[in-house]
Amino acid sequence: MVFSSVLFLTMFLPIVLGIYFLAQEKMRNAVLLTASLIFYAWGEPKAVIVMVALIILSYVVGLGIEKFPKYSKWILTFGILSNLSALIYYKYWMFLLENINLCYSPPPISVIPKIALPIGISFYVFQILSYLIDVYRGQVAAQRNLASLATYVSLFPQLVAGPIVRYETIEKDIQNRSVRYEQVYQGLRRFVIGLAKKVLIADQMAFVADTVFNSPVKEIPTLFAWVGALAYTLQIYYDFSGYSDMAIGLGRVFNFKFLENFNYPYISKSISEYWRRWHISMGSWFRDYLFLPLSRALSLSKTYAVLSGKIGRKRTNIFLTAVALLVTWFIIGFWHGAGWSFIVYGLYNGFFVFVEILTGWSRESKSPLGNLVRHLYAILVFIIGFVIFRSDTLGYAWQYVKTMFGDSNAPLNSFYKATEFLTYSNAMIFIIGCILSTPLLARWYTKYEGTKLDVVVMLVLFIVAYVFAITSTFSPFIYFRF
Amino acid sequence: MNRDEIYAKLTEIFKENLDLDEIELTDETTADDVEGWDSLAHIGLIAAIEQEFGFRFAMKEVVNLHNVGEMVDLILQKIG
Repeated sequence: MVFSSVLFLTMFLPIVLGIYFLAQEKMRNAVLLTASLIFYAWGEPKAVIVMVALIILSYVVGLGIEKFPKYSKWILTFGILSNLSALIYYKYWMFLLENINLCYSPPPISVIPKIALPIGISFYVFQILSYLIDVYRGQVAAQRNLASLATYVSLFPQLVAGPIVRYETIEKDIQNRSVRYEQVYQGLRRFVIGLAKKVLIADQMAFVADTVFNSPVKEIPTLFAWVGALAYTLQIYYDFSGYSDMAIGLGRVFNFKFLENFNYPYISKSISEYWRRWHISMGSWFRDYLFLPLSRALSLSKTYAVLSGKIGRKRTNIFLTAVALLVTWFIIGFWHGAGWSFIVYGLYNGFFVFVEILTGWSRESKSPLGNLVRHLYAILVFIIGFVIFRSDTLGYAWQYVKTMFGDSNAPLNSFYKATEFLTYSNAMIFIIGCILSTPLLARWYTKYEGTKLDVVVMLVLFIVAYVFAITSTFSPFIYFRF
Repeated sequence: MNRDEIYAKLTEIFKENLDLDEIELTDETTADDVEGWDSLAHIGLIAAIEQEFGFRFAMKEVVNLHNVGEMVDLILQKIG
């Protein structure tokens, strides 16, 4: 079920809110859990079984880690491996088999099974893993109540596309189902903002981006290649940050405080900074559960000691960083999807992060000109990154980037006439989208938050967004694919 | 070794690892206050501290340090 669908807005959400507020406080977690399972089962009833099985298994593993400290490492390993094997099977098995077939002639595997990807599996498996590792590290106590753990993993606001909530964040919230009306207002307000971002900006920009990216690359003139790339850059930000707003807002309604997932990424002055502002819950997950433990393991290894004896510690550290970044960004790319373009997307970002570390580029410049150059560099890098991300194949991405830099003979007029996608309203939305991707307007508006004017503005925004949602064609969120 | 001596050693380690000319560490100093002290530099710092003082941090301790004060407490506890 999609947040911006009529079914969710007019049936599911009002009914769940009604039952939730009417229910006794101690029954409210049960209401949330039931609602979440129905929400998830709506499209794919079979996928629920996978999730419930992983929750029950991880519940037992969590308790085991705590109960048997002597064997906790092995129990944790078992928990991690079983969750990861589910993820690998459902998300990557087909891709792996296909690539094995490509390597040999004749292809060794005659029948590649068709495996449907259970929606949100990349997100909830990561939530479970963070829970198990945190129990192992002693950061949180194992949850004794199976239903509470299940509520944490399956909570419908964040289930299918994040934010990847840490158990630590909601450890206390999960025990407290009191209703505070100020929070409910704040939450619904945030939901409306997210909905508006999604249907008023992202879906409109999607129309522009799709028109360009669905064209054969040879027919795209340079100018429109940029239009398509910029439109997609706005689409993906408003789509995903809009979804995050809705998730965080709904969480707030139910008295959960999720951490922020976006912090104006497009004002970044380096790619390292960009990744601290974009999809923060994912970036920090990979930092805390992959990059740090991996660098740590490498710095404790024998090779490290030998190497630093030979070439000195500074150079060895650079080498260590390179290896840890390579592995981490390869996996970050692969996490986004079973395809080579995602892997390249990850490594592409990792490359710039590495270069920035080597050159000290990510430190702020003291001159305004230096900061402007840094800002333009970051924008250029993430826009090209999105082209790789959006393209179905690497070949298409390569040709597309070449087109952006002038390698195109396609006539401007014929492309425009054939598509006619540049309308005044799209141009307006494009400009508004650019302005709202900076904190300027939001900072100015904060003084009106919670006032009567604010209530009216949000109501109008909701009605407009709702009308757009019911009249537009079905549009799932981009990040539902992962 | 007392707190002041540990602070003196830490200051040297920070200066060398983070390429800083001057730095003043206090109990309340966090990674946000020090330029270049990101997650990456953190691993390097931890390794350098371990070498200097001759003990090992657990991964749990590596990720759970919130400020320099906690770091000094932990070092005191480990070498004490």
